[in-house]
Amino acid sequence: MRSDPTLKAPLTINWAINNNCNFLCRHCYSRSDTTEELSGEVLCAAMKRVAATGVLSVNFGGGEPLLRRDLLAIASCAAGCGMRVSMNSNGYLIDGEKAVALKNAGFSKVGISIDSHEALVHDRFRGVAGSHERAVNALGRLREAGIKTSISTVICTFNHEQIDNLIEFALANKVSQLNFHNFKCSGLGLANKDELDLTPVQWQEFYRKALRAKEQVKELDISLDDPIIASLGLKSGSSLVKGSVCGKLSLNIKSNGDITPCGFIPVVIGNIIRDDLKEIWDNSPVLERLRHKTPTGKCASCSDYGECLGGCSARALAMTGDFNSPDPHCWIP
Amino acid sequence: MSKIYRNPDVMWREEDESREQANAALEKGENAEDIGTSLLFSDGMMVTLNVLGTEIWKMCDGREVDEIVAELLTQFDVEADVLKNDVAGFLEELAEKGFIHYEE
Repeated sequence: MRSDPTLKAPLTINWAINNNCNFLCRHCYSRSDTTEELSGEVLCAAMKRVAATGVLSVNFGGGEPLLRRDLLAIASCAAGCGMRVSMNSNGYLIDGEKAVALKNAGFSKVGISIDSHEALVHDRFRGVAGSHERAVNALGRLREAGIKTSISTVICTFNHEQIDNLIEFALANKVSQLNFHNFKCSGLGLANKDELDLTPVQWQEFYRKALRAKEQVKELDISLDDPIIASLGLKSGSSLVKGSVCGKLSLNIKSNGDITPCGFIPVVIGNIIRDDLKEIWDNSPVLERLRHKTPTGKCASCSDYGECLGGCSARALAMTGDFNSPDPHCWIP
Repeated sequence: MSKIYRNPDVMWREEDESREQANAALEKGENAEDIGTSLLFSDGMMVTLNVLGTEIWKMCDGREVDEIVAELLTQFDVEADVLKNDVAGFLEELAEKGFIHYEE
């Protein structure tokens, strides 16, 4: 009935408002990023311009956003511009009082990173003892404050066989969504890739099971954000666009205002302070190339290319230097 | 009869360029049914709507179906019965996706 409209602006911006963190995660993509932070005042002015272009939502990340003392003011500014406000946090600093303050500042959803249903496993991976307990506590406090919650789990070697346990854990903690994030080879994720990343065959097995669970578990929204699953038959309307969403529906802004297609593609296409977002969105040659990728290698003869468009562009770029290359996670020979 | 409300969790916006394209087609008497002019976005699900769908969506503010149809008849040159069926089918689709809800 309807063709996809030409998007006048990103739907959502993933916005890293700081880089400092109280955790030592072994897959962190931003730990090596030492860029400066914008002041709250400058951020707020930038968010007003972003909202005026039509962006519907901002998702704060970092770093740990709660380490910014002016987070509540920044969120209030974004919400005041009419944007939906959410963030990803490790949950360590969220108690009942903070949860209420986040709600009052305009947060509608907070995603908490939890990588295992087992506290010790999570704590070891995140590098902070007691972090699992505090993350679980944060989920409860946020829910009590009226904020929707989700769990973000980065799939890697130590949790990829724990799908059922992770789902049971999410249900027990009454979250609205469980996000299984695919492993990105960025920052420390690249440095620790050999230890943490799965083989293509392991990814295939994981996604087969996760898709089956997604169909069976109706009480929980299980999100799988990896374009390579198109070859397993997930071609329903639940996919927003074909291939990576980066540069098609969303953009990333770093703590110094630099704009990149996504948080895992370290290609700066402008800066939110000095450049016009609309101009970048419409005319960036990098975005143009991401939106119109050229199949190379095994993708050139693959019957699934039309659905997955080569898979995750960030991973291809990190491992081969070219985001047109086949996704290194792809299991198709 | 039930009042129809948009789900407040759904984010949405109109797309100016596509809207202009659809308006230009309509002015020339061409079919704009296939031109998406707005999009709805919620929890990873996105739906695009054409001109008629967009107008219906914007009227899901507590109005009843008959009120929406009556208003649309002033804007679009269509048979009332055909329009009523189209509107009912469209709303059913939105309700299934959880984008609207009904209140007595």
